Amino acid sequence: MTTTQPGRPTPAGVGRRTVVATGAAGLGSATLGGRAAALPSSPSPTPSSREAAAAARHRVFQHGVASGDPLPGAVVLWTRVTPTPAARPGSGRGPRTEVRWEVATDRGFRTVVRRGTFVTSAGRDHTVKLDATGLRPATWYFYRFTAVGQRSRVGRTRTAPATDASPRNLRFGVVSCANYQAGWFSAYRHLARRDDLHAVLHLGDYLYEYEAGYYGAGDVIVRRHEPTGEIVSLDDYRQRHAQYKTDPDLQDLHARAPFITVWDDHETANDTWSGGAENHTPGSGPGGEGGWRRRRARAHRAYDEWMPVRLDGTARLGDGTRLHRRLRFGTLAELSMLDLRTHRSRQVAVPAVDPAVSDPDRTITGREQMRWLKASLSRDTAQWKLVGNPVMIAPVTFAALPADLVGPVDDVTGLLPRDGLPYNVDQWDGYTDDRRELFAHIRDRGIKDTVFLTGDIHSGWASDLPFDRGLYPLASETAGVELVCSSVTSDNLKDILGVPPRTASVAVERVILAANPHIKYLDFDSHGYSVLDVTPARVQMDWYVIGSRLDRDTPATWSRSFATRAGTNKVVAVDRPVA
Amino acid sequence: MHAAAAPHVHRTGRTDPAVATDRRTVLKVAGAGGLALTFSTALGAPSYAAGNRDRRRAYVLVVDGCRPDEIDSGLMPNLAALRAGGRHFPRAHSLPVMETVPNHVMMMAGVRPDRSGVPANEIYDRALGETRTMDRARDIRTTTVIERLNRRGFRTGTVLSKDYLYGVFGERATHRWEPFPLLPVTDHAPDLFTMEAALGMVEELDPHLVFVNLGDVDRVGHSDLTGGSLQVLRRAALVSTDLQVGRFVSMLRSTGRWQRSIVVVLADHSMDWSRPDRVVSLTAPLEDDLLLAGKVAVAQNGGADLLYWTGPARQRDRAVERMLAVARATPGVLSAHDRARSPRLRLGPNAGDVVAYCRAGWRFSDPTVVANPIPGNHGHPATRAIPFFIGGGHPAAARAVSSTLATTVDVAPTIAEFFGLRGAPRGGWDGVSRI
Repeated sequence: MTTTQPGRPTPAGVGRRTVVATGAAGLGSATLGGRAAALPSSPSPTPSSREAAAAARHRVFQHGVASGDPLPGAVVLWTRVTPTPAARPGSGRGPRTEVRWEVATDRGFRTVVRRGTFVTSAGRDHTVKLDATGLRPATWYFYRFTAVGQRSRVGRTRTAPATDASPRNLRFGVVSCANYQAGWFSAYRHLARRDDLHAVLHLGDYLYEYEAGYYGAGDVIVRRHEPTGEIVSLDDYRQRHAQYKTDPDLQDLHARAPFITVWDDHETANDTWSGGAENHTPGSGPGGEGGWRRRRARAHRAYDEWMPVRLDGTARLGDGTRLHRRLRFGTLAELSMLDLRTHRSRQVAVPAVDPAVSDPDRTITGREQMRWLKASLSRDTAQWKLVGNPVMIAPVTFAALPADLVGPVDDVTGLLPRDGLPYNVDQWDGYTDDRRELFAHIRDRGIKDTVFLTGDIHSGWASDLPFDRGLYPLASETAGVELVCSSVTSDNLKDILGVPPRTASVAVERVILAANPHIKYLDFDSHGYSVLDVTPARVQMDWYVIGSRLDRDTPATWSRSFATRAGTNKVVAVDRPVA
Repeated sequence: MHAAAAPHVHRTGRTDPAVATDRRTVLKVAGAGGLALTFSTALGAPSYAAGNRDRRRAYVLVVDGCRPDEIDSGLMPNLAALRAGGRHFPRAHSLPVMETVPNHVMMMAGVRPDRSGVPANEIYDRALGETRTMDRARDIRTTTVIERLNRRGFRTGTVLSKDYLYGVFGERATHRWEPFPLLPVTDHAPDLFTMEAALGMVEELDPHLVFVNLGDVDRVGHSDLTGGSLQVLRRAALVSTDLQVGRFVSMLRSTGRWQRSIVVVLADHSMDWSRPDRVVSLTAPLEDDLLLAGKVAVAQNGGADLLYWTGPARQRDRAVERMLAVARATPGVLSAHDRARSPRLRLGPNAGDVVAYCRAGWRFSDPTVVANPIPGNHGHPATRAIPFFIGGGHPAAARAVSSTLATTVDVAPTIAEFFGLRGAPRGGWDGVSRI
């Protein structure tokens, strides 16, 4: 999503960011403490004894295990090995390494159903990614890796139901926008403690590209980014991915359930579009970050290496970077995951007055992906058409907001240009012709039960998607509904305002809800996660919120639930979360 | 539904229902409201005492033109309750052409139009050389589940609010109610009378299967000039029809039939409303084409136009290409299909050479743009979503919600399985039992 903060430092100018010393120091040492557990030091060791101790305590599997993109007979398995202490992520060092993998039906690996070996090297940053095939549908499996005499932790994963199966339900964790510098990933920890998730949908901004010290928890940098500069090179992106994957909560969640992911902008750079990004300085001059396509290719390469995702339909590297894909869950649901960054036209510069927001030649999906998405929705293969949608599709307009609030709201959502007119040009609101085309397709084909699942905007929303917003609710026909999860840690409105929860934001929410009757729920204040439960009768989203993102042990509590009943294309409030 | 009063490119040879009075007996019974009801019964039909003593009962209630979301509108609490307590198929839809007659025929035949012979309400009859309504009993070219039940000694009944449905199903059922009174504009019997007949038939004649069409929601939807955003009359019809369904359920409970019955509730299609300026008329652009002029018949079906090449057979392929091009270039047309090369449509030759669908919010009007003034239409893909659920106290209607696709063609195999009928049409059912 769009992130803007006044006084942003240059990549080298970390000192321009105010860091609360106590928080940063204390929390930073905690991070270092964690790393020290893997690489401990002893008082005044001799070089030889230090090397021997390091070798003895060297951990081959430092970045956890993961699985993803479940199919009825296959799932992607992932890990990263560090065969020698020198083989650090992004270092380009370390030997070719053979990694054995096993898949079993039990945690004790008494019944191993698939096994094999995978050779990795510095050329792929010692990542391991493979498609474990020949599995049974709708089945829990356990997997692990072995390399250099060490064994990884055990991961748990689940295959998708058979294409002709009619599962009673599907349950997904839903998350987005996890800024390492802004807090602890408590949302991941609480999700990992659940035993009922068939998969986790990560809707983008899995990591942030910013340099250390910029864009934290307001003025607090809870944990400093590595590498310290804004990530631009392939090695930079690899190191940043690696850093995020050292987070124990994220590791636990990856080990608990398969992930289904899409990238948004920050996996590459803020406000990415097909030809550049707001946070990209082209060229080789001072501050220049090189050519855009080269930078994006590096980001996508690192994403392919480090994420349990099939790009271009395979787990192989280097065979394409097409991210949009379908995942089928029997007759109950089909999930279409979108890439709304790679093919989009540039965001308009002056949203309030620029008619280009409705220019049919501008696109957020790209033409090929739009054709593919329309075909996805038209297929008679499953009841619920779920769309993994990195940026919000519901139209949002505003009545007058107090001038003092326009800036902070804009920082969170990008929704308000300074003159208060109603466009968020980084979302579908900036590409209205694509939205019109998609909604017309849904209406023309009589498509029901389309649910857009969205991240990006650091706030919780539940909304109908009217064909004609101007006539809603008088003409109450809708194209579907949208459910937006809050951020794991990234700034929301109260963070930017620096006020307690449920104070200043409440008035803003009321104004927005009043001006947009199709929006039924809005929470500008909370960080957390969502749980999506899909049955033939309805799709329900439960929002869970954490306490302070600065508190590593913060609890999570249920906040609100909304559901859309089959055939209605509308959201309604529900009084309790799924059991 | 087609525009009832709309003229067509060729003269409509609408025929009267061919009810042969010499092959039926007439039974007059008093309805619950003191209304005199008249049922015709096939000669030689088994009496209750002499016929099949099976106590199971199946009732198929078609809420004509109902959209699935209307069940959730709060205006139809009886239908919502019936759905909540039964087997619900939220992923249900109508089948091409999304019109009344073909989908009712599919419900009872269990096969698609390429096998039933009934692809639309209106066709161009090549033998007659004119367009006509498919309202003749011989239009159905297969054996329906009604006849299959009759052969096994079960008694069947039809209570159909629309004259053309009464015509196309003819004398197939053991007991038939002829729709009365027919309203002059909508050409259907109001639901109050239709339900009175259904209640009377069940209570007096007690057929094993009763097939009911409730036409108010559809007919009011067609003619509701407030359609689109307000839909005032439509909403009133939803309330009224729901009350009639509530009466039917109450009767089943009060007469002890509920526990041994299933009640299949569905629609034949849904409904879409168009503005007066969103009208597609293909006749003029077809006439403007040198190859096609004077050689294309158009059977207008509201949301779908069926185009028939009437010129030399050797020019057919070229003509189809031209018809497709003309249709696709016309604003408001969603898609046009070469019927013979679109096997998934399964419409058969009676549907002509080209099938054109309009976009949501549009309608066809041929031969002129004023020929179809009706705002509410169906037949196009926007109108394919339907409610489909099976209520009742019989275990076959046990509460469940399924994500499997259910369509109108599933009704006949469902009824057949419920009554334990063996066998299927030659070539098998096109539908699937939903119990």
